[in-house]
Amino acid sequence: MSTIQLKHLTKTFGDFTALKTMDLDIADGEFMALLGPSGCGKSTTMNMIAGMEEPTSGKILFGERDMAGVPMGRRGVGFVFQNYAIFTHMTVRQNLAYGPRMRGAAKAEIDRRVGAVAELLQLTPLLDRRADRLSVNILQRVAIGRSAIMEPAIFLLDEPLSNVDAAFRAVMRTELKQLQRQFRQTMVYVTHDQLEAMTMADRIAVMDHGVLQQVGTPLEVYNNPANVFVARFIGAPGMNLLKGRPAESDRGLVVDLGPLGVTPPLPDDLAASLRGARGEVLYGFRPEEVTLAQDGRGLAMPVTFVERIGARTVVHLGRGEGAVKAVFDNDVGLSIGQTAVVAPAASSVRVFDAASGVAMRAG
Amino acid sequence: MSAVTATISEDETGAARGRPALRDEGTRLGFRLTLPAQILVLFISAFPLLMQLYISVTDWSPLSGLGWWNAWDMWNSFANYTDLAADARFWSALKRTVIVMIVCVPAEFLLGLALATLFADDFPGKRIFYSILLMPMMVVPAVAGYMFFMLFQSGGPVNDILSVLSGTRVTVAWLSDPTLALIAVMIADIWQWTPLMFLILLAGLVGVPEDQVKAATLLGANSWQRFITIVLPKMKTIIIIALAIRVIENFKIFDTLYIMTGGGPGVATETISVYIYKVTTQDLIWGYVAAIALAILVVLSIVAVFAMKRMARARQVPA
Repeated sequence: MSTIQLKHLTKTFGDFTALKTMDLDIADGEFMALLGPSGCGKSTTMNMIAGMEEPTSGKILFGERDMAGVPMGRRGVGFVFQNYAIFTHMTVRQNLAYGPRMRGAAKAEIDRRVGAVAELLQLTPLLDRRADRLSVNILQRVAIGRSAIMEPAIFLLDEPLSNVDAAFRAVMRTELKQLQRQFRQTMVYVTHDQLEAMTMADRIAVMDHGVLQQVGTPLEVYNNPANVFVARFIGAPGMNLLKGRPAESDRGLVVDLGPLGVTPPLPDDLAASLRGARGEVLYGFRPEEVTLAQDGRGLAMPVTFVERIGARTVVHLGRGEGAVKAVFDNDVGLSIGQTAVVAPAASSVRVFDAASGVAMRAG
Repeated sequence: MSAVTATISEDETGAARGRPALRDEGTRLGFRLTLPAQILVLFISAFPLLMQLYISVTDWSPLSGLGWWNAWDMWNSFANYTDLAADARFWSALKRTVIVMIVCVPAEFLLGLALATLFADDFPGKRIFYSILLMPMMVVPAVAGYMFFMLFQSGGPVNDILSVLSGTRVTVAWLSDPTLALIAVMIADIWQWTPLMFLILLAGLVGVPEDQVKAATLLGANSWQRFITIVLPKMKTIIIIALAIRVIENFKIFDTLYIMTGGGPGVATETISVYIYKVTTQDLIWGYVAAIALAILVVLSIVAVFAMKRMARARQVPA
């Protein structure tokens, strides 16, 4: 087990900057997700931690130890590949035994360790199966076991669930999380799926265009996104953002959304941080935090589409820049063409500076 | 993802097994529709073979004045085969052929593998070296034979180079010495066919899954261990194919060799093909030639069947 510290880590490929001065501290035994769309630099970061790529500048520390120049076979890093990279020409046992065998461990010692790992991962009955005919969740366990047998300080997982169909992904997520609890390893998990990051990680590092956007627990990044990118990326669907200008009204500070009218008054602490702001702002609220305003005090918008997903209903409102989504727990009986008056819950409202995209923090 | 696809295909075969009646009907109809074509193909491939078999039990030769279909007039029971069994020149030619094969094929394989490993990574000038390396393969074997005939003359470039290296005047009569002639012939074969081995093995090497090699590295395997435990096993099928191609081809070694030495001095470099050629053109005993050809065919078929079996077994294990 080990902490990981990334200090001013930068990676460029020719003119292209894949990662821009990233600083990140990962605690011992923590499950950290690197989350972002493809090309955001998350895989580059992981490859540098694993030693597959050398940083252009900056440092990687495992505990107190600087990893510069340490080859990838010597870093004590367990790596689970996107497609698991199981040695298909070997049995499960040979896969598990591979690491110790290459390090020249004694036969009895190898048997003992393979036995222990197989027991832990419930692979014992499968030990003599050929590794080319295993289901995906077994492959995942073999991949983890093959690394775990080396007792690595750190586990790196590179989008291991991206090739799995959606239904099975939930099973695999649960299993992976349980395994992490068992091993109590520091794990770094790369994914572009915010749901995976939200459900499994202790903390999430959201990245975009080679820049770290925000680090925090799943609820922190969900509730208090640092900027517009994080607000849109986290959550399904992402946060609604409407352009407007702060304005005083008799009920308190509101945001004037132009043709959409004015918003309900902002909570006091948010209003305080906004007072005096001159430029345009983005008024944000979660689709899940919307109610139909019975008193007519809210945003009146035309219904453009209704998705009924079993327990939930996603209602699409408005068009173009002023489009928002609202998620309801039951069928609210809206249909296309109707006008709905929606009101965001006051506590869920967030405001961002329109020019910089940065959140305007309450208080 | 191979495991996933494997599971899917298993499901598919399972589904097909679920409706055997339909599948059998389809198969039967397909068989009936393609039957004329199948008979034609069978005839084309089997006819020369059957003709050989027929002639091999006669003393027929084109000089006999009989059409080949009347060859049964010259039926000699199985004299050709009993003669063959007692033919010392045949056995020595066979032995020589096998020796050439045992030296050339492994040499070509090891050189090809070494070169392929070298070319799997990037190095400056790779493309130029690549083209140069493939050139011997493009040379017409007869031309290659003539080239090496010149090279190995006693006043030729090979001796010149040896002279420079040793500092004394070397005048080895390469193609007149029984042992050296055989070595010269083998060098020519290795020169010409290592590129093919290299090409096939390079294709196999490039096909080795990169992430499995990376995974092995992360687990602490050094480059030699990776080569032995991951790369070679993944290349098994292609290695078998490459070896089978060269074993069969090398067994038929003829053109280069015939131009270099004509099978001589004496019979020192006479391989099976050269022997057959001589018997056919000089002695004109076609019945006997047919018997030799069939005997060789049997030997090569065994090699081919063995190789195909190994391949079928390897194919059950997707890389």
